[in-house]
Amino acid sequence: MKILTTVKRVVDVELNIRVNDGAIVEDGLQYVINAWDENAVEASVQLKENNSAETTLVSIGGDDNADMIKKCYAMGIENGILIDDPALAKADSAIYAKVLQKVYEKGDYDLIVTGKQAQDTDSGQTGVMLAEYLGVPCVSNVVSIEVVDDQKIKVSRLGDMGTEIVELTLPAVVTVSDSINEPRLPAMRGIMMAKKKKIETMDLSALGTSIDDLNGGALQSEVVEYMQPEARQSGQKFEGAAADITAQVVNLLANEAKVL
Amino acid sequence: MTKILVVADIKQGVLKGSTSELLSKARALGAETAVVAIGSNIESLGSDLANAGSDTQYIADDASLELFSAGPFASCVVDAAKQSEADLVWFGFSETGKAVAPRVAAQLNVACASEITDVTIDGDNVEVVRPATANKLIQRIKVNTDKLVAVVRAGAFEATEGITGTENVVKLSIPETDLKAVIKEIISEAGDDIDLADANIVVSVGRGAKDQAGIDLVKELATDLEAGFGSSRALIDAGFMPHNKQVGQTGKIVAPTVYFAIGISGAIQHLAGMNGSKVIVAVNKDPEAPIFNVADYGIVGDLFEVVPILREEIKKIRS
Amino acid sequence: MNPLFMSLLLIVGLGVFSYTMYFKIQLLLALGPVDLSGRINNIGERIKNVFILAIGQKRLVGRKREWLAGIMHAFIFWGFCVLLIRSIGLYGEGFVKGFQVPVFGTDGLIGYLYVALKDIMEGLVLIMAGYAIFRRAVLKPSRMHNTWEAYFVLCMIVVLMISDLLLDGARYNLITLYNNPEHFHFFNNPQYGIEFAWTPISVGAASLINGLSADANSWILTIMFWTHLTTQLVFLNFLPLGKHFHVITALPNVFLKSLGYPHEKPEVLDLENEAAWEDETLGINHIHQLSWKQGLDLYTCTECGRCKDVCPAYLTDKPLSLNEFNDDLKAEMLSNSANIIKRAKLASGITEDGEADKIEEIKAQMAELNSEKAIVGDVITEDTLWACTTCRACEQVCPVTIEHVPRIIALRQGQTLMAEAYPKELNVALKGLERNGNPWGIGYDKRADWAEGLDVKTMAEDSEVDYLLWVGCAGSFDDRTKKVTTSLVKILQEANISFAILGTEEKCTGDFARKVGNEMLYQMMAEENITTLNNYKVKKIIAACPHCLNTLKNEYPQMGGNYEVIHHTEFINQLVKQGKITLNKSVEGTLTFHDPCYLGRYNEIYDQPRSLLNSVSKEGLTELDRHGKESFCCGAGGGRMWMEETIGKRINNVRAQEIVDKKASTVAVSCPFCLTMIEDGMKELAQEENVKTQDIAELVADNMA
Repeated sequence: MKILTTVKRVVDVELNIRVNDGAIVEDGLQYVINAWDENAVEASVQLKENNSAETTLVSIGGDDNADMIKKCYAMGIENGILIDDPALAKADSAIYAKVLQKVYEKGDYDLIVTGKQAQDTDSGQTGVMLAEYLGVPCVSNVVSIEVVDDQKIKVSRLGDMGTEIVELTLPAVVTVSDSINEPRLPAMRGIMMAKKKKIETMDLSALGTSIDDLNGGALQSEVVEYMQPEARQSGQKFEGAAADITAQVVNLLANEAKVL
Repeated sequence: MTKILVVADIKQGVLKGSTSELLSKARALGAETAVVAIGSNIESLGSDLANAGSDTQYIADDASLELFSAGPFASCVVDAAKQSEADLVWFGFSETGKAVAPRVAAQLNVACASEITDVTIDGDNVEVVRPATANKLIQRIKVNTDKLVAVVRAGAFEATEGITGTENVVKLSIPETDLKAVIKEIISEAGDDIDLADANIVVSVGRGAKDQAGIDLVKELATDLEAGFGSSRALIDAGFMPHNKQVGQTGKIVAPTVYFAIGISGAIQHLAGMNGSKVIVAVNKDPEAPIFNVADYGIVGDLFEVVPILREEIKKIRS
Repeated sequence: MNPLFMSLLLIVGLGVFSYTMYFKIQLLLALGPVDLSGRINNIGERIKNVFILAIGQKRLVGRKREWLAGIMHAFIFWGFCVLLIRSIGLYGEGFVKGFQVPVFGTDGLIGYLYVALKDIMEGLVLIMAGYAIFRRAVLKPSRMHNTWEAYFVLCMIVVLMISDLLLDGARYNLITLYNNPEHFHFFNNPQYGIEFAWTPISVGAASLINGLSADANSWILTIMFWTHLTTQLVFLNFLPLGKHFHVITALPNVFLKSLGYPHEKPEVLDLENEAAWEDETLGINHIHQLSWKQGLDLYTCTECGRCKDVCPAYLTDKPLSLNEFNDDLKAEMLSNSANIIKRAKLASGITEDGEADKIEEIKAQMAELNSEKAIVGDVITEDTLWACTTCRACEQVCPVTIEHVPRIIALRQGQTLMAEAYPKELNVALKGLERNGNPWGIGYDKRADWAEGLDVKTMAEDSEVDYLLWVGCAGSFDDRTKKVTTSLVKILQEANISFAILGTEEKCTGDFARKVGNEMLYQMMAEENITTLNNYKVKKIIAACPHCLNTLKNEYPQMGGNYEVIHHTEFINQLVKQGKITLNKSVEGTLTFHDPCYLGRYNEIYDQPRSLLNSVSKEGLTELDRHGKESFCCGAGGGRMWMEETIGKRINNVRAQEIVDKKASTVAVSCPFCLTMIEDGMKELAQEENVKTQDIAELVADNMA
């Protein structure tokens, strides 16, 4: 089985992210692998370890992505593709999905595993759109993947009614939830070996396409302004004898906030 | 006039609150409203769908649509969107919405936005506002395509009292089942509880409850208040509470009128799930717990002591 | 007596001994190399150590606990030393009748004093050996395990003493009662009197057999003579075979002990060396990778179990029994002895400029000789390896100065780097370290948030300050520890000290990464920090956390970071002495101090914290039973802070209970780990209202005049 995993480089959401004049302040920010894609990488590597599968990752970006890709190699991914083209500097989910479509068509993959959303946009659209473009089935918010045979896989999805067990016919797209696994730390030995491993870097023409094929590069939607969310202010804190303060608060809830 | 199609959120044959919330907003924007409902045995919901605030109801009712399947659901929505000539297609915040909306957008070849909190329409210009980057940023987005498909954040829009609509049912043709993605089984989780997304009051329990005995104690409070019963991630990871009870960044986002955080420290991931609540009440032993930074009313104390007193006082004040 | 027999006895006895020793030494030499620069430097101090620790038995007789047992063993040992001279006399006598050892065998004052000393020692050794048997068999201290070996040796000691006493007794009888028919020589210097006036115990022994005839006594003498020497040679040959090897190896082991820093620091592994990854020589993965000093340590373990008595892991029912650990490794080492030696011979055939093919072949042959057992898994369990908190209590009490902790860390290195078999619960902390420079993974940009409003400079703003205050991860991010940092800043500002912090440029020193064997991450953190420190030309650092202190002071020099690092208690103590701050004795109630392992046992800082505490306490400091060098670990070291404690009792609860039992109203600490663990322990015991846990900085800041 051949598995394609998508990996995105995103800002480290542990940091304070400031906005100045409607734009993000880049100074002091550091970038890391998207946490959900890390789950996707781990899921792919586990599939490889438990079945006979070949894993490839694809990332869209530039030289800065190399570190992240090498770490994925150290986790167990065998091949890596980097799509590096200045025309993609501004892109949206649809354009990314179309690029990924081209990558898919250039190889012959059975399964695409992506994180369910990216930590920078939190949109969760690219994977599903990709499935739509490819005309293959897609299940999102997946918490387990099991290979039935080389044509089918069985996945569990966290849906609105509970956990859905779905049987998918390959090729298919699966987007994973962080509940699916605990990503391993890159192996020490793997990190050493990865230093020498190559990354197949392609621009759009090497991929056999051009920006004209991708909506001419037109964005279906774009961010015109970034804003800082309003911090919620703290209210009143009560300390003392449990009976007294609890009675006080209930009183306030009824008469001040008028919510009881 | 703008035409807005709202995808009805139906669970176990009941129309959820988000439908009328979205329709209310649509009306407030002065749009022509339509609703699309997909499922099995939902014909009877026709009047509810109208009363929620829609002028046309597109219904796809078939046994094959009883269980969720993204492909056929998307087809129905696209069908309704085309028939209604909708400019905006809105989904309520649910796993269904998140799974189907991008498909619909891709099929219609239009923009898609998830978790929007506001919409402004100025002639042909449509802008939406949404949170991003783990709720640390807010994006104002300009839509460049002639239509927009969006998933609306839980509690972002308010339902208008006394909203009305017109009953005007259009039957949709039933799409073929997706043979490539077949649901084999659904393991439902505690279906009898009050849905967190709809509840007016939510009581959530955290690590401070320690074990099943503590959780049961807090659940009594939820029962008293007829509130939704939620949990922080800690108890879910420890196996005490099911996944679907998780309130937080990677779980459910709720915005009830009152949110009780009992024995919850207030980690950022949890706050992301309930920050939008009107009033937050926190009970925690640790006076330095971060939850007190966002609580409107904070009680520093042992929940095992406080919760019984809370129940008492609430009973008293309600009688 | 009988030169032929004597020669035979000696040839066989010493021959077998040499043979055994040859293989033992050959095995050691076949093990890994040791950096001798840290082992044979400062010869004067080393010799002093041998006298104080090995010969003086300081860790036995100088220790309040089990003092009596210490005396018992010391006297047996000293007895043997004294009797050695006598033994030489006996061997001589076996060849030449009337042989006298020079000086000690002549009838000068020294000779007399010697026979008196020897006599008393024999008596004492007999009593001590008797007590030892009683102790083992009846009292049964928990740390000891009774083996036939132990009893056998004690019996041999008893036999040696009795045979010598009876030998002398028979001699006495023959000389004084039977007119010395065999013309034995004895002292009779008019200045000092007759020899026997100085040897009451032999005389006493003689009285036991003075009813027998001269012939009988003569027979007894002969039998005892040969019994004594034969037993001695049997004893000698028995030594290398078991735990009594320490009799021979303890002295060199003490001589070679690490000076200055309490034990060998982990080597800075060359992680870029591909060959090392292929040959699996990073850390200890195979038994043959032990260094010869570590092999010597294993030979020297006397299995006394004193380590168990102080090990926080063992005392809370975790499967880390150090003497068993040593024993298991030793057994594995010995059972692979032949292969290890063969392997070393093959290895010597690999030269720098050898043919690649040849080298590959040799390496393949060497690989064949690897032990079949995996050290971690087959020889010792994982739980054993990871239970250690690296507190060094074991090393502190070990009478023969075995260095347990570096071996544990080297094994962990092998597990982490090569086998990928480390406790995965560490991943969160390791990842946090890598991404954001702290084990909680909190954004690095928040590291200086604690300093808001406190008027503290960063080095970026002004690096021309006297001191760098190294805050540490806990001091920067942990809510409780931030209060300690704030107190410390208050003190420094009160004393008008010129200092700055690195703020968001500070990263975790990497201590716990190193202690769990993750050299890669440690080196990364160290390199980054050293670059930052050197860019600012930092010379003096004040650290509030003993782990930071230890790493910055003792381990960073290995990678080019040389700074003068001082713990905050040392520094505050200086300030008090210099009169820059004055303290009020206003802390009421019983105040105790929990010595942090990394401050005390790693860096020998015991007095300065005490001096400060005595200056703030009304009643003065009350010592816990386990204090100072024998302080009981809080349980967080060695990376254990970031792991769940699932086996046995909780170490921190045990320590907290000890503090509660001392009726303390305040327990002072000077380490953020200890602060967390002990405070948590108090909460678990529901004692947090009765016992306050405070850092010394807090106590000082609250009580400044």
